[in-house]
Amino acid sequence: MIHPLTLVAILLMAAVTYSTRVIGYVGLRNRALSPRAKVVMEAAPGCVLISVIAPSFVADRPADLIALAITVAAAARFSMLPTVLIGMVSAALLRLFIP
Amino acid sequence: MSILGSTTDSKAAAPALSEVRRGLNASLPMLLGIIPYGLLLGAQASKKGFSIVEVPLLTGLNFAGGSEFAAIQLWTSPPHIVLIAAITFLVNSRHLLMGAALAPYLAGLPKRLVFPALFWMCDESWALGLADARLRSAERARQPFSIPYYFSLALSLYFCWVACTTAGAALGPSIGDVRTFGFDMAFPAVFLVLLRGMWRGPRAALPWLVSLVVAGGTRLLVPGAWYVPAGALSGLAAAWLFAERSR
Repeated sequence: MIHPLTLVAILLMAAVTYSTRVIGYVGLRNRALSPRAKVVMEAAPGCVLISVIAPSFVADRPADLIALAITVAAAARFSMLPTVLIGMVSAALLRLFIP
Repeated sequence: MSILGSTTDSKAAAPALSEVRRGLNASLPMLLGIIPYGLLLGAQASKKGFSIVEVPLLTGLNFAGGSEFAAIQLWTSPPHIVLIAAITFLVNSRHLLMGAALAPYLAGLPKRLVFPALFWMCDESWALGLADARLRSAERARQPFSIPYYFSLALSLYFCWVACTTAGAALGPSIGDVRTFGFDMAFPAVFLVLLRGMWRGPRAALPWLVSLVVAGGTRLLVPGAWYVPAGALSGLAAAWLFAERSR
């Protein structure tokens, strides 16, 4: 059920991933940041999140891009659940009508 | 219940319980985005020869969806272990920044809580935990980072991810396309709401725009997951340059 090489790969992946999770904390735990570094760290979360979803912004189907625009507008006004539902429904409907 | 930091005193347990409920509620809309991707990952892994035991082993020990999709994509038999480890680091390198952003709010907490908390740090649990800590810090809470809120939120996402990937492996190829019913739009929708919560005006968001443009361009021009570190780092560089000008 568990192949030895698969197990090695999984354990190595887990170790690499956990190290990425703790290094940022361990490295900055006892360090006072300069004001400029603080400005950079405050921008960091948004930069990470928007980079992760960047592929949606360069989708090749017009229906996907229109649905994304609707989702952006929804996110500006509504909380999590309505935004997610509006995004899903608009993507499903637009794909039906715009091939 | 030591993980929740509560004592046997019922007065202390009551607010912890409401924090648990708050965390579970916050996680619910995110599950909509996680379920279809979990099923899809499990199905893809089973196509590559993963057994129903190996799939939860991967998703339960690694718990970072992006790197799991990348690893499955690159999976050969036998696996190219060094390549897979390197891609895992590349896709998850954003965790370095995420942990650093969280560090000031974790400062007052004991390490026996912080190190497990970091194991469950994914994009969603991190963004919600950070937003909550910033809010509580502005309200001058004694401990800005709410451990019961964070753990209930993160564990809800975790068990959903492991369960759905396992179910996906069991169901295998009968899983359809996540694009049906627009399930794939749930993922950017979640992230956009998280970004709205971090909005501090258009000026502060200029680095985000740089990240978006660079990540989008990289995505179009370079195959693989390079767009995440490229976008994140160029946004940081922009923030660094803008900070210099505004002084």
